[in-house]
Amino acid sequence: MATNNAICCLAAACFLIAGVTFAGAEDFSKGSNAKELGLSGETKATFSGKVVDILCELSGNCPAKCGDGKRNMGIVRAADNKLIVVAKNSQFEFNGPVDDLLPYCNQTVDVDGLLLAEDPGFTAKVFMAQFIRLSGQKEWKMADLWTKAWQQRNPGAEGEGPWYRRDPRVKKQIEKSGYFGLGHEADEQWREENE
Amino acid sequence: MNFNKNPFAGLTAVLAITALQVGGALAATPAKMVEVRGEIIDTWCYLSGVMGGPDAVVGTAHHTCALWCAAGGIPVGVRAEDGTVYMVLKIKGEEPLAQTDTIMDIQSNTILAKGAHYVRDGVNYLVVEKVVSNEGITNKNHEDYGPVPGFAVPEKE
Repeated sequence: MATNNAICCLAAACFLIAGVTFAGAEDFSKGSNAKELGLSGETKATFSGKVVDILCELSGNCPAKCGDGKRNMGIVRAADNKLIVVAKNSQFEFNGPVDDLLPYCNQTVDVDGLLLAEDPGFTAKVFMAQFIRLSGQKEWKMADLWTKAWQQRNPGAEGEGPWYRRDPRVKKQIEKSGYFGLGHEADEQWREENE
Repeated sequence: MNFNKNPFAGLTAVLAITALQVGGALAATPAKMVEVRGEIIDTWCYLSGVMGGPDAVVGTAHHTCALWCAAGGIPVGVRAEDGTVYMVLKIKGEEPLAQTDTIMDIQSNTILAKGAHYVRDGVNYLVVEKVVSNEGITNKNHEDYGPVPGFAVPEKE
């Protein structure tokens, strides 16, 4: 009987280890309609999971509404309980994902996009969310809310050109220390040598 | 433990231990206080390669783009001297996406940061409690790469 129990324990342990390994190696590209961009270590990925405030998830320090737009957000993937950092939405003008994730704080969503990164100093993948929907819903939404949210946050930053040329915080830094961050003389010197 | 009394005792023990391990992983992740010296970077351009290789998307060359990305709400990181990238979850006790100048003021700067270090699922996270020292922008790589992207410095009107 003791031998049988030992075998039983070993089999259970092997089953659990195999399960964890299998989940870690799961292919999330099946069913994805994400647009490929040729980024480092890129794979298409669609998965479900809970939208979280990352710091809350790590530390237990949890303000209301996932930090109400002030904190970095991620998704705890249902398939393997991994915390995935969402670094980007679908827009192409330096836009983050928080405005697209915030309406789903602590809810379970489906997302479609790209997992990427291939750097020896960063051994995980980050996610670019291109589409999102509440789990159970049919219609996908484009993850592209950032620019509209920026306009609402910056009502005085109207004018021509893209948001990043008009953003008050960016303009303040460039006025203070130039485009290279070394002062306006460095900008002028570079222009003289290169324009 | 006498397995002979209960034929499922062994399996129960394994499942109980595993449940404890999984439960531990679900609870808050333990943090360690650390000091990290490194450059404040934009993690998206650095990790995605969208603007070029890692040496081009740091320093003065990428400074304006790093400002755009930080203002855009893309996670900011610290690239330590050994190449490890830390995701910054707070800076000087302030939320990273707060609409203030705190995180903007130190883009591309080399700092010595003191704070809580969390690791989960292969990602290093840093809650910066204090910037112990700030050397400013030390990586003057625009001399090699120019502005990255090229339109970061607009032509003079």
